[in-house]
Amino acid sequence: MRTRSLREFSTALLTVALVLFFMTASWAQQKSPPIIIGAPLPTQYLYGWDAQRAMLLAIEEINAKGGVQVGNVRRPFRLEALDTRDLEPGVPLSEALLVVEKLILEKKADFLMGGPARSEAALAAMDLIAKYKKISILTTGALTPAYHRRIAENYNKYKYLFRITSDAGQLSKEAVDLFESLRQEHGFDQIFIMVQDVAHARAIGELVGKNLGGKGWKVLGTEVYPTGALDYSTGLLKARDQKAQVLFVWMDHPEIAILVKQWKDLKIPTVPIAGISSAVEHPGGWASTEGAVAYWVASPANAGNAPSNATPLTTKFYEAYTKRWLVEPEGYGTSTSYTAVYVLADAIRRAGSLDADRVVAALEKTDMIGVYGKVSFDPKSHQVIPSDDPKQGAVGTWFQWQDRKRVVVWPNTIAVGKIRIPPDLSVPKGGAK
Amino acid sequence: MLPSLLVYGLINSITLALTALGFSLTYGISRVANFAHGALYVLAGFSAWFFLNRLHFNYYLSVLLSVFFIGLVGAAIYRLALIRVRGMPLLEIIVTFALGTATLEGLRYFGFLGSNYSLPPLIRGSINLFGVPVDNHRIALVLIGAVLIFMLWLFTRHTRIGLALRAMAQDEQAAMMLGIDSDRMATLSLALGAALVGIAAVVVLPLGFIATESGGNILVSSIAVCILGGLESPPGVIVASVIIGYAQILTVAYLGPHYQMIVSLAAILVTLILKPSGLFGKQKELEERV
Repeated sequence: MRTRSLREFSTALLTVALVLFFMTASWAQQKSPPIIIGAPLPTQYLYGWDAQRAMLLAIEEINAKGGVQVGNVRRPFRLEALDTRDLEPGVPLSEALLVVEKLILEKKADFLMGGPARSEAALAAMDLIAKYKKISILTTGALTPAYHRRIAENYNKYKYLFRITSDAGQLSKEAVDLFESLRQEHGFDQIFIMVQDVAHARAIGELVGKNLGGKGWKVLGTEVYPTGALDYSTGLLKARDQKAQVLFVWMDHPEIAILVKQWKDLKIPTVPIAGISSAVEHPGGWASTEGAVAYWVASPANAGNAPSNATPLTTKFYEAYTKRWLVEPEGYGTSTSYTAVYVLADAIRRAGSLDADRVVAALEKTDMIGVYGKVSFDPKSHQVIPSDDPKQGAVGTWFQWQDRKRVVVWPNTIAVGKIRIPPDLSVPKGGAK
Repeated sequence: MLPSLLVYGLINSITLALTALGFSLTYGISRVANFAHGALYVLAGFSAWFFLNRLHFNYYLSVLLSVFFIGLVGAAIYRLALIRVRGMPLLEIIVTFALGTATLEGLRYFGFLGSNYSLPPLIRGSINLFGVPVDNHRIALVLIGAVLIFMLWLFTRHTRIGLALRAMAQDEQAAMMLGIDSDRMATLSLALGAALVGIAAVVVLPLGFIATESGGNILVSSIAVCILGGLESPPGVIVASVIIGYAQILTVAYLGPHYQMIVSLAAILVTLILKPSGLFGKQKELEERV
C-alpha cells in the first residue's frame, strides 16, 4: 500500500516538474524570440550555399554565446534561407522576387541578408525591399555598381539597403592593378577577354578593356558568352592566333570548368586570369578539372575565401568553416556572409532595438575588423569601403592554383606567394617594361 | 582560322548528332517524344561517376554499366508510366517532362550540385590536326559517333529486332498483324533511345563536367536537331547536326558567342514555318501537301 502511494506521489511530482519545465521553456522562448534573418539565395549554386553555410556558422557562434544583445535582453538569431534560383540560365527574376516577398511576409524576416545573387535580380528586388522597409545586406553576387549608385541617388527610399562585398568597379580596379604588375614584372601587354553575358561580367569586361587600353595594353578581343555555353574552343583559338599573353575570363556559371579544360587541351599559351569564376574558385577545382586548373588565377572577391593572414580573424574563420563544413571556404560569398552576421549583431546591439531606422543609423557607423579587413560603409551609398590594406578597408584577394593549392598572390599586402607563368608561355624579349 | 572552324565544326556536329540520335530513334519507332531525354543524359553521367568514384569500378566497366542502367531506366519509363497514356501525345509529353524534371530536381536534392563531378577522358593527350590542336578525347568522340551511326544503320537493317522496329515505325497496325508486339517494341525503343543518350553522356561529359543544368540544354538542342532533320529520320538527324553544328561555330566566330544559343531556336522556328516535317521527315508531309 505504502509502495503504491509512493509511486503515485513520484508520478505526480514528475508530471508537475515536466509541466513546470515546459512552461518555463515556453516563457523563456516568448521572452526572447529569435531574430529572423531571411536569406534569399541561389542555394543550389556555389554562391548560394557558401553564403548560407557561412551565415549559419556565424549564427551558431553568436547563439552559443547567448545571442544578440537587444536592449536588456539577449535574443538568438535564426536563419530562414529560400532558393531564389536566380543564377540559372535565362536569369529568372520572378522567382527571386517571390522569394524575397515570401521571406518578408510568410517567414516574418526581421532582416534580409545574402542575395539575390544575380545583379539583375538584386536591382529588381530593391523597390520591393524598400517598400517593406526591411534592412538588407547584400553579401554575395550582385556586383553591379548600379546598386549602390541607386542608393546614393535616392537615399531616403533605399536607405535600408547595404552591400558588404566589393563591387564590379573595385574588382576591375584590382584586376587592372594585377595586370599592370604582370607587365612590370614580365613585359606582357597583350590581352584577350572572355566574359559571361550577364550585367556584372559585361561591365567588368568593358571596364578592364577600357582601362588597360588607356594604359597601352593591346586588347585583342572581347567575347561575350551566354550563360550555359558548352564550347569555348573558337574564342580560345582566336586568343592563341592573335598571340595573347594574358587571358582574362569572368564567368560565374559552372560551365567555366569546360573552358579551363579546353584551355589546357588546346595548349593556349597565356596566363589565365579568371575573376569570379565558380569552378576555378572552388577548393575542389583541382580535382574536378584533373589539374587543368593549374596556373589559373581567380578572385573569390574578398579575403578569407582563400587562405591568408589578412586579419587575425581570417585564419580563425578559415579553420572554423573548414571544421564545421568539412570543406575550405568555397566561393566569393563566404567570408562576407559570415562577417555580415557579426556586423548586423553589432549594429543591433548599438541600436538597442530592431527598429529599422535605428539599425540603419547604427550600420552607417559600423567600424569593425572583419575577416577581410576593416568593415565600414559609405554613409551615402551604403557600399562597403574597399582598400588594398586590411587595416583601412575591405580587402580583395586573388589566388593562383599552384601544386594543388590556392595560393594568394594579390594584393601584395596579404599575398603569400608569387604568380607563376605557365611553361608554354614565352616571356617577351626585353622582359619587363 | 578556317582549319579550326572546320575541325571544331565537325566535332560540334558529331556531338549534336550523338545527343540527338536517341530522341529521334525513340520518336521514330514509338512516336513518343521523350522529354526526359536531357534528364537521362545527366543521370547517365552521374551514374557513371557513381560507379567509378563511389563503387570504385574500372572506368570502362563504369561506362558500360551506366549505359546499361540508363537503358533499363528508359524501359522502365515506358512499362511503368507511358504504357498507361500510350497514344495520347500531349499526355506522353507531360509524363516524360514531369519525370525528367523530377529526376533533375531529385539529383539536386541529393546533393549532386556544383562543378565537382567530372569523368576522366577516354584517351589523354592531344595532337595537331591541320595545324589545329585537338585533344585525343575529341578525336575519340568523332570516331565513336561515326561508328555508332554505322552500327545503328546495321542494326536497323540487318537484324530481326531492327527490322521489327522499322516495321513498327512504318505502320504499327500492319506490324502488329504480322505478330510484332507493339508494347515490347516501344519498350525497346525507349530503352535504346535512353542507352544512346547514355553513350552520348559518357562520351561528351568528360569534355567538361556533369551538371544538372545541362539537361535542359541537351533537350533543346536535341529537339532542334530532330525538328530540322525530321523527327523520325536518323539521316535527317545527321544532316541537321552538321548544319546546326557548323552554324553555331560560324556564329561564334563571326557574330559573337552570345548569339550561339539563338541558332538552335532559330532552326526550330524556321523549320516549323517553312517545312514542318523537317528536311527528311515523312510524318507530316501528307498533311502539308493537303
